[in-house]
Amino acid sequence: MINTTKNFVKLKTFKVFNFRNVYRSCSTEASLNNTNEEENATQEGFKKSFAEYRHIYPEFLPDPEVKLRNVIREKLERKDMIARRSQIAIPEFYVGSILSVTTSDPHSPGKSETFVGICIKREGCGLRAKFILRNVIDHEGIEVLYEMYDPTIQKIKVLRLEKRLDDELLYLRDALPEYSTFDPNMEPELLVEGAPVPVNSLKVKLKPRPWVDRWERKNLQGVQDIDLPERFWVKAAKVATPWEKYDLMKIYKKTIPAEEQRKYTMKSNHNCKS
Amino acid sequence: MSQVLCNILHKTALIQLEEKFRHLIISNNQLIRNKSINLPRPRLRNPTWLTKKHRSLEPNFLTQENKEFLKEVVSDKYQNIQPQSVINTNIEWNSKLKRTGLICKKIGVYPMWLQNGKKISTTLIQVLDNHVVKYISPEEHNPPRKRIEKIINKKGCLIIGAEAADPFLFTKEYCGIFKGSGVIPKKFLARFFVSPEAVLPPGTLLTAMHFPVGHYVDIRGKTTDRGFQGVMKRHGFKGMPASHGVTKTHRRPGNIGGGGEKGRVWPGTKMPGHMGNRYRISRGLKIWRINTKYNVLWVSGQAIPGETNSLVYVYDSLVPSKKPTEPLPFPTFLHGDELPEDIYDKEVHSFEGPSILFDESK
Repeated sequence: MINTTKNFVKLKTFKVFNFRNVYRSCSTEASLNNTNEEENATQEGFKKSFAEYRHIYPEFLPDPEVKLRNVIREKLERKDMIARRSQIAIPEFYVGSILSVTTSDPHSPGKSETFVGICIKREGCGLRAKFILRNVIDHEGIEVLYEMYDPTIQKIKVLRLEKRLDDELLYLRDALPEYSTFDPNMEPELLVEGAPVPVNSLKVKLKPRPWVDRWERKNLQGVQDIDLPERFWVKAAKVATPWEKYDLMKIYKKTIPAEEQRKYTMKSNHNCKS
Repeated sequence: MSQVLCNILHKTALIQLEEKFRHLIISNNQLIRNKSINLPRPRLRNPTWLTKKHRSLEPNFLTQENKEFLKEVVSDKYQNIQPQSVINTNIEWNSKLKRTGLICKKIGVYPMWLQNGKKISTTLIQVLDNHVVKYISPEEHNPPRKRIEKIINKKGCLIIGAEAADPFLFTKEYCGIFKGSGVIPKKFLARFFVSPEAVLPPGTLLTAMHFPVGHYVDIRGKTTDRGFQGVMKRHGFKGMPASHGVTKTHRRPGNIGGGGEKGRVWPGTKMPGHMGNRYRISRGLKIWRINTKYNVLWVSGQAIPGETNSLVYVYDSLVPSKKPTEPLPFPTFLHGDELPEDIYDKEVHSFEGPSILFDESK
C-alpha cells in the first residue's frame, strides 16, 4: 500500500515539474492531463528548462545563509514540498502577478474564502515560502500574507501573469488606490504557450507624504517622479551606498551563484525522479 | 601475605578518613554558599575513562598498497556490528526506570501544520549512528566529583559513541575504549545514566525509534557563542533613549547599586560579559514526527540550544507533567519488521494528505 502511494506521488510530481507551459496558461485543473510534451522534449530542452526552474520555483533553492544549510534537512524539506504540490498545483507567479487564493477557515466551517490581489512581496525558502497579496476593497486597502505550503489553502490561481519593474511592490501602500484595485471576479487572462513572461512597465503615482518608508531612497523604477523638497534628495544622496554593487563578497553572501543554482535544480530533479 | 593485608587495611582507613574530611570541608562551604549567587562555572573534570583523542599525523611512509590494505582490514573488521550478548527484553517499563539517551545533530527548523489548521514550528534532529560502547555498573562507577549524601538507587552509566571515523585518526588509548565492544572508533562519546535494568550490551545500535511519536524529550546542547556582549543583548535591558539630550549612554546599564549601607556592587548584578557557549537544556519538547530512513525526529520549538549542524543530547523528559502514559520500548526499540518511512503524531497533518477542510459538524 505504501509503495503504491509513493509511486503515485512520484508520477504526479514529475508532471508538476515538467508542464510549465500549461501553468503559464494559468488554469490549475488542466495542468495534470497533458503527456505529449515530456516525450518530445530533447535533452537540451531539458537542460534549458532546468535553468529556468530557479526563477519559477525560487523556494527550492537552498538557504542563502550558508550556516543554516544541511543536506538531509533540504532533502526532507523538498520531499514535503513536492508531496504538497502533488495535492494542489502551486503555479508559476512573480511579484506583480495577480492571484486568487481560496482557503478554508476554522471560523466559517463548511465554507471557503477567496481573495484576489496583486502579489507585492515574495520571500522565504523551503516550506517557509510566503507571499503577500494586496487589494483595495470598499476603499480600504487590504493585505493578506499566505504561507505557500499551508494545507488550509485549497486553490491558487494566477489571473494575470506578469512582472513589474521592481523586486518588491511595497510602495503600493503609499500609491493612489487605483493602482492596487482589482476586480474580485476577474477572469484569468491567457498567455501564448512558450511566450516569455511580460514585464509591465507601469509607473505608479505616489500620494504625498507621510509614507510608511522613505521611498526616495530606494531607487524605485516603477514610480513616477517624486515631488519632494531639495533637502530630501540631499539626505538621500548622503545615505546612499552606490559602492555596494561592486562589493562582490556581499553579493556572494546574499545570493547563490547561478552555476550553483543550476547544479541544485538538477540535483533536486534527480532526487524526485529516483 | 600479612603485608598485603596490612596495606589494604591502611588504604581503606585512609579512604575513610579522607571521606570524613571531605564531608566536613564541603558541608562548610555549602553553609557559606547558601545564598543563590551566580558562582563561576565549575571546572570541567573529564571522566576517568576519557583519554587523549587525536594523534599527530606524522608521515608514516606507508605505500599506497599498504594504505589500501589497512583500509580493507578496517572495513572487514567493522562490517556488521552486532550486540555482544542477548538484550534482555523481559522487563516491563515503569516510570521509575531510566532509559539511555542519544547523541544527535540539530539539522534545521521548518514549519508543520496540525489537523486543526494551526501552524507549529519544529526543529529537525538527526539521530547519528549511535552504538553502545561500554557499561559501567553502579559499583564500578567512580566519578572525579563525589557527592556527600548517600545515593539510594544508584545508577550505572552507558557510554555511547556516534559518527564512525577512520581509526587511524585517533590515538591508541582512545581506540582502546572501543576494544572489547566490536564497535568502530567513533568521533563523539557521551555518557548517560541508566537504571541497572536498562543495561544494553556493547555493540547495540540505537535509532530514532528509541523515542515513540507523541513522547516528550529534553534536549541538551551548547548555545551559540556570542562573545563578550553588552547588557542589552545579554540580559535584555532597555538601554537609554536615543535622543532628548542623552549623550554617550544609549546602550549602557545605568545604575548598578544603591548607596548608604548597601554602598557597593552586590554579587550577582547583571553586567556585560561573555554570552553563550554554555550547556543549556530545553525541556518537555514533543516529538511530532519520525523519519525512519534518515533517523530524524521533528521536535516542537525553534529555540533548541546550539547552532544548526551542532551536537545535542536527547533523553526522556524529566518534567513530571510530561511523563509518558503508555509504556516505552524498554531497554530500547528493537527493529524487527519493516517500518513505514514517516510516522506522524495523531494531531499532525501529513503533507501527502489532502487539503484541510473544516466541517460544520465538528
